[in-house]
Amino acid sequence: MSSVSYAPAHGARVRRLVPETGAQAAIWAVVLVCVLAPVLPLVYASVQSKPIYAAGRVFTLAPYRQLFTDPAFWTAALNTLEFAAITTASSVVLGGSFAVLCSRTDVYGRRAYSRLFIAPIVLPPLGVILGWNALYGPGGYAHDFVNQTLHIPLNLTSVPGMAVLGTAVAVPVVFLVCQATLSGADSSLENAARSTGAPPLSVLGRITVPMLRPALLNAGLLVFTLSIESLGIPLVLGSPQGHDFIASYLFNTWSSAFTPDPPVVSAGATVLLACACALLLLRSKLLGDQARFVSVGGRSGPAGGVQLGTWLRWVLGAILGVYLLATAFAPIAALALSSVVSELTPLIAPWHLLTLGNWWEIAHGTFAHSILNTVEIAVVGGLLTTLVVALATAVAQRSRFRLRRSLPFMLLFPRAIPGIIIGIGFFWTFLLVNPPGGALRNSIWGIMLALSIRSITLAYFVMSSAFGTVSESMDHAARAAGASWWTSTTRIAFPILKPALYASFILLFISILNDYDPALFLVTPGHEIMGVTMLDAEQQGTIGPVAALAMVQVAITILAIAVGARLFAAQARGKRNA
Amino acid sequence: MPEITVERLSKSFGQEQALKNISFSVHDKEFLTLLGPSGCGKTTTLMSIAGFQRPDEGLISCGDRTFFDRAAKVYLKAEDRNLGMVFQSYAIWPHLTVFGNVAFPLRIRRMKKDALRRRVLETLDLVEMGDYARRYPHELSGGQQQRVALARALVYAPAVLLLDEPFSNLDAKLRERARTWLKHLQAELGLTTLFVTHDQDEALSLSDRIVVMDEGSVLQIGTPEDIYRRPATRFVAEFLGHCNILPARVATATSSGTTGLVLHGNGKPITLSGGDRAAGDEVQLAVRPEAVELTSDESASGENTYRAELRSVSFLGDHYVYELGIDGLALTVTDTRLFVGPAVTVRIPPSACRVLPS
Repeated sequence: MSSVSYAPAHGARVRRLVPETGAQAAIWAVVLVCVLAPVLPLVYASVQSKPIYAAGRVFTLAPYRQLFTDPAFWTAALNTLEFAAITTASSVVLGGSFAVLCSRTDVYGRRAYSRLFIAPIVLPPLGVILGWNALYGPGGYAHDFVNQTLHIPLNLTSVPGMAVLGTAVAVPVVFLVCQATLSGADSSLENAARSTGAPPLSVLGRITVPMLRPALLNAGLLVFTLSIESLGIPLVLGSPQGHDFIASYLFNTWSSAFTPDPPVVSAGATVLLACACALLLLRSKLLGDQARFVSVGGRSGPAGGVQLGTWLRWVLGAILGVYLLATAFAPIAALALSSVVSELTPLIAPWHLLTLGNWWEIAHGTFAHSILNTVEIAVVGGLLTTLVVALATAVAQRSRFRLRRSLPFMLLFPRAIPGIIIGIGFFWTFLLVNPPGGALRNSIWGIMLALSIRSITLAYFVMSSAFGTVSESMDHAARAAGASWWTSTTRIAFPILKPALYASFILLFISILNDYDPALFLVTPGHEIMGVTMLDAEQQGTIGPVAALAMVQVAITILAIAVGARLFAAQARGKRNA
Repeated sequence: MPEITVERLSKSFGQEQALKNISFSVHDKEFLTLLGPSGCGKTTTLMSIAGFQRPDEGLISCGDRTFFDRAAKVYLKAEDRNLGMVFQSYAIWPHLTVFGNVAFPLRIRRMKKDALRRRVLETLDLVEMGDYARRYPHELSGGQQQRVALARALVYAPAVLLLDEPFSNLDAKLRERARTWLKHLQAELGLTTLFVTHDQDEALSLSDRIVVMDEGSVLQIGTPEDIYRRPATRFVAEFLGHCNILPARVATATSSGTTGLVLHGNGKPITLSGGDRAAGDEVQLAVRPEAVELTSDESASGENTYRAELRSVSFLGDHYVYELGIDGLALTVTDTRLFVGPAVTVRIPPSACRVLPS
């Protein structure tokens, strides 16, 4: 034992640079403004007789009357419902079956499939749509092969045809939700059934699938909500043939109205917002009730695999492979191919048409400009959103701020706002609140703000679960040592959560990079982003450069994931070697 | 170092009353232990003193500084209380080295670089961790992490040291060593220390005084010996060590410093020293197993001496535990000697019986 004197440290008083409650209130206010900014002006604009910048406006419900008496709206609404219903039903059946096959049976290649089925989630949605169009669309590379050789009547521009694509996009979501539930569920429940003498297949049907019911319901409602707001699919496929959905109906009314910015579009957007919110509430209510029936054991035993038998194992494995190939890999391959040929057609072998012209074209002018804009927006937006959401989560989970309990709801709300509503909403907000609205509108930062707010919920999912893994005593230890809330958050909690902050940034970067719905309403000349440029060019019949642009999006996405994976690896190594 | 005073502290979580009107004080340089089973309110009390839980009622002060006063609406934030705290999980920050962890409190107090370095190394030497300054927490054993946590709590010379079950994550051997070591350090530095534990051995061996708590109330405050030998309630008697509880009725009132009673269960007479009871009172006697005397001498007789049936023996290394029956009344006795045979003779010394309030 040493005999060091125990003299008090001098200057024991600590200076507080940031007042605690002030900082927390400021963070809370920023989140509130961000979440309400796209919604309030939209609702206001929907009950005005003229656009809100015009003089002589009066309060009126006429926009709603006009909307509900327009037969085109009702056609679009019916189309949307049909699309959402088919997409939801088929993606729940397929995604659920695939998840059960991959995690509870010995189907051939199940480990690889478990990852491959989730991978399409990070693919740029617009790229997937364009890829499908290039492959299966009218005049697509495989259109005749599918329709005439295989005798599958696939017409991508019809509502059921679009639902086939919708299903392919939604299956990974259902798969992910079901797989998470299955891996968390206690497999001893299934083993218990087998020990009573139930044959494996009947265990699957009577125990495993019923246990999945809450997950299927959850995934189904999620897919339905996402389906009723889809804009890209009808815009590329259905609209040119007159098959509109609500979102594309609103967009087309907006962009081709005699008087610009008609209130009827705001009314339609408000209706769509109400539907999405109602579905989200329904989902949280149903899941709240269901949660009681979900059994999640602490330690589950070895996963009870159902033995399918050699023959069935291979056949089912092959079916999964063909499905993945047809819905994810072939469309992306078709996209890649059409980016290096002058025309993609089954009539002439592609190697006779090879060209670098498409790539040369996107390296210049508007195309190149929009790539730079998009990357810039994604980097800055990802950083800012991660920072704001991390601070907001710290207020929500690690402070005594009075209104902290309202924060989780505010951070989850953007999930319920359809993309086009954020677009129209910010359009009005920028007009109403000027400055800084005008400056934001005439630069890429307005689009950045809209896309960032749409991704708030994603960041919150990452940060809230990350905070959950760090013991509160880490913070308490800092507070006991004299650190303020701000100091303990920025110098203790954030450094410990560095991997989660990186993960959040990478996810937001990808999400903002590939998003485009809100930007359709906010884009001004010279400030285009990739998604908008691609849609514009596609509608003018430019195929090759659009495909090349989509491939750039895919490439940047894969690069971002690779960088993220390396960051994680470096973190883990650093921890080990330190 | 100033003393901590806790007065009439109450705290509820919904319907559950976690603290009911708690009062006690920690004297200057004293080692005081809050002892009780889990859920008794000891950690809630500690967290209220540290500033991580806000009580509903009462007053907490440290020297002339008021931490919490419901009546005067005073509530000092945790970071302004200048207390040193060691957490049950140690809460060593994984992203900082041992040096970084211990330096953190000084950094936020803006200590000059040289002085800070000196001070941190001094404190690490004090806890015998000087050689580990550059290590990261995951490279340390549980015992080493605990020392770092202690160094971090001591480095800025806080007014009082708060310890929340700091030994519960150590294995039995290490726990014993850490205990001795902490006691020395505390005595040498003259630290005013408030310690929370559910482990009676820890409480008895470390404390100057113990506060025994159960269901949110203080049952008894006293020195370890006091509490062990003169438990105030049946709960205290049974929580600290083993205890035989024998129900009895007072037969003769106090005469010449002794009381005569009749044991329920077998109707035998028993005498105890002192006592202040009227004839006919129903009482409970607390008798420690090690206070009972055993002999194999069948002819022994006298005050409080009985023949007992030997029901079972278990060997516990340095002593034996005997389960006896005195005409149907069960009694547990410990002794270092081995007795065999169907019966033994038992003597319960009058001074070893303590009357508990019924």
